[in-house]
Amino acid sequence: MTQRDPIFRLEGVTRRYGNLTALDGIDFVAEDNAYIALLGPSGSGKTSLLRVIAGFETPDAGRIWFQGRDITDLPAHERGIGFVFQNFALFPHLTVFENVAFGLRHGAQALPKDEITERVKSSIEMVGLAGLEDRSPEQISGGQKQRVALARSLVMQPKLVLLDEPLGALDANLRERMQVELRAIRERLDVTFLHVTGSETEALAMGDKVAVLDAGRIVQYDTPDTIYDGPVVSDVAKFLNRFNLFEGSLENGIFTGAFGAVPVTNPRKNKSDTYAIRYDRTQIFDAGDANLPGPALPARFLASEYLGSSIIFLFETEDQKTVEVDHHLSLGEPRPLTVGENYTLSWNPEHAIVFGKETAR
Amino acid sequence: MESKVLKPILAVYVGLFILFLYGPFIVLGILSFQQGPEGGPQFPIIEWSTYWYKHLFGLTPPSRIAPLPVGEALVRSLTLAFMTMVTATVLGVMAAQAFRKRFRGAGIVFYLIVLGMMVPGVLTGLGTSLLANNVVGVERHWWSTAFLAHVVYTFPFAFLVMLAILNRFDGSVEEASWSLGVSPMTTFRKVTFPLIFPGVLSAMLFAFTLSFDEFPRTLFASGRDQTLPLAIYGTFSVEIHPNIFAFGVMTTLFSFALLAVYGILMGLSVRRAKKMAMQEDIA
Amino acid sequence: MTATSRNRQKKTTFRLLAPGVVWMILFLIAPIMMIVYVSFWTQTTFAINSTLTLDSWKNFFASEAYVGALWTTIRLWLIVLTLTFVIGYPAALYVGLMVKSKTISTVLLVLCVIPFWTSFLIRVLAWRPMLGKEGAINIILQKLGLIQTPIEVLLFSELSVIIGMTQIYVVFMVGPIAFMLGRIDHNIIEAARDLGAGFGRIFWKIIFPLSLPGVVVGAIFVSVMVLGEFATSGALSGRKVNLLGNIIVTQVGSLKWAMASVVGVILTILLGIVVAGFLRIVDLKREI
Repeated sequence: MTQRDPIFRLEGVTRRYGNLTALDGIDFVAEDNAYIALLGPSGSGKTSLLRVIAGFETPDAGRIWFQGRDITDLPAHERGIGFVFQNFALFPHLTVFENVAFGLRHGAQALPKDEITERVKSSIEMVGLAGLEDRSPEQISGGQKQRVALARSLVMQPKLVLLDEPLGALDANLRERMQVELRAIRERLDVTFLHVTGSETEALAMGDKVAVLDAGRIVQYDTPDTIYDGPVVSDVAKFLNRFNLFEGSLENGIFTGAFGAVPVTNPRKNKSDTYAIRYDRTQIFDAGDANLPGPALPARFLASEYLGSSIIFLFETEDQKTVEVDHHLSLGEPRPLTVGENYTLSWNPEHAIVFGKETAR
Repeated sequence: MESKVLKPILAVYVGLFILFLYGPFIVLGILSFQQGPEGGPQFPIIEWSTYWYKHLFGLTPPSRIAPLPVGEALVRSLTLAFMTMVTATVLGVMAAQAFRKRFRGAGIVFYLIVLGMMVPGVLTGLGTSLLANNVVGVERHWWSTAFLAHVVYTFPFAFLVMLAILNRFDGSVEEASWSLGVSPMTTFRKVTFPLIFPGVLSAMLFAFTLSFDEFPRTLFASGRDQTLPLAIYGTFSVEIHPNIFAFGVMTTLFSFALLAVYGILMGLSVRRAKKMAMQEDIA
Repeated sequence: MTATSRNRQKKTTFRLLAPGVVWMILFLIAPIMMIVYVSFWTQTTFAINSTLTLDSWKNFFASEAYVGALWTTIRLWLIVLTLTFVIGYPAALYVGLMVKSKTISTVLLVLCVIPFWTSFLIRVLAWRPMLGKEGAINIILQKLGLIQTPIEVLLFSELSVIIGMTQIYVVFMVGPIAFMLGRIDHNIIEAARDLGAGFGRIFWKIIFPLSLPGVVVGAIFVSVMVLGEFATSGALSGRKVNLLGNIIVTQVGSLKWAMASVVGVILTILLGIVVAGFLRIVDLKREI
């Protein structure tokens, strides 16, 4: 990826609905020609952010820059930013061809008929819908609608396309295929995709970069593997759905939790004291086993869940907290476990990430 | 459960209820075929005839009963209803469109508009004629003052119909259009309007029929030239003849014709949708 | 600042609303204000002038006929309102709730609405051959041997006005109630029945409260129309029943604008009280 000027930049963007603050002073710089995933739980303000960038909503404060130009006060139709809706929002009274041609026909600059036809045709071909031009939106499947929506945006040759949970309305099979295709289509064009999603797997799989939004703020913006390995705050760790999180207290470099007191190094600044260890870094030992790699957490085995490439074991600790262990099958067969029996869970303390109000000196 | 008993009883009741609604009309229809010109507007039927229908169109030899002055009145009523329909629908669509966004004073504006259908015709009519007569000093006409009062009356209906339609309208297609660089005006013309057109049609039908049949406002607010309801009202005070019944049957048939046109227009859009759905099944 | 785009939106809203709002202010609010104003003008035999006086108001309350018309209006309104409710509710109950098939319920509703495509005045007039001395009802009753001599009180009486108005306005009661009943989730009724509730209890505890907004909307429709009536009473009472509306018509006919305005103001106040009273029970805007 070549480094160029940022495609868009947000400066203190704030949006309130009555008493509710959806966007809380967001600062953000997005690089050009990239696939950016915007990950956030529902209610984190991710759709609001997209709508503010698109110009469907006005921020209460802050500025939005696009291709070096302040577009905060520009109406949506003068911004030249594409938008793909979760429900596709195709024009139901127009054919596939006319849907894609819509922006070229009725936009600001008048194009010759031949050029419109040509651009629409190649755009439809690019998304693999050749032959369906004369169908109406009611006559095509969900996945095809998604492609029409994409073609309709891309035919305008925008530099930025906003995708609002574009795969949310598709079934699981189709979703995976579209993930690959969306990336492939973007790479062929000189365009930035900002893809909003509530699914951490989707975000980590698709984004060149992932921005994590929580409570109206972007808490982390980095490459997927950096985020996966090192969430900056406990909320991100929680949202990634890959970490066992333990509440406790951190004092003078000692974390005290359900597994006893453990010395820790380099805790990360956080609003609460939390100890995190990834599911696949948590190991299972017999109760009373003295040969542990780290802290000992007594837990009762509840159930297991087979996921194809790995097995998830569910445990319950003495304080009724569920702990998950992810055993990847490439590491060999898992040890047999008896439901209701007590075991000890442990891990290498170097793999743990500790968040604390008290930061390292 | 008691509804096993209740349901048939209510079914019979609804039958009687509908008879109550239609009864007078059936009688009126029967009496319109009274013999003429001696036969009066009551039973018994002396002899079945279509005399009064011919009388309506001036096809009978002159008699002491003057023909109804309906010809010009009908043209006036149709013209007035058409003017009212267009104006009320345009105002209704615009106002309902504005109500899709929150704004301050929305409650007041809503009730101001709805007031138009709430205030009885006598009051609007009286006030309009007072204003025209005593303040502005203009003559009252069916095409001026009465037209204003008709729009006051029908605009709220058109507004409410459009409000109900737009409430159910998914605005994301409009946003999609904007994001393609299409201005809000063009978006309204090319996306919103085609999609809400069935609603617009209903609003137009409402406005047209209400205006066509409007009477109290017109009575006060129009001048010498009568509209159709005024011509009918004029016959109230004098002796009634079966020709007015024949006329009632004719206007009803006309209304049904209007309704049929509306039904066909609506049916066409539904059929188009169905045809598409069927093609999908084949494909 | 971002105020620019907010202003732009305000401007759009303003432009969309301005024509309608201006129209309503000029041709609805101003005329009503005008009625209030003119009710204080001085009436001479052939003209009025804008010298303010209370004479017309005094005349109204001094005249037994005028005050009587006020009471007649209120009495007829209450009777017709009650009748439309009593007659309309069971019909609405059947159409909105009892009929399971959507098609039949739509057909029934359309049947109720069809008469509205006949001129209102013709519908009023149609009661004359129905109720008259030689009218359909008397003929049928005589044929059946139920009566010997025709009932004369049927036409040109307060009764005929009540019958006529009830028939014309009952549909405005049926429609909103049936609409509200149609929105009731049948599962709630099923659940109540499973818990052993009888129909009476289900009706009073569930069905009626849920249909109440419809009743109120229907009552507003009927009230507004009945209170402003004059044509039905004119055509079916033989000038025996005078409502406020009739007085306005005759006063305007004899160019007594000031007195007509006084009656207009009284009618407006009466309507205001009635509608405001109903709106206290239900928020009309929320029901749409």
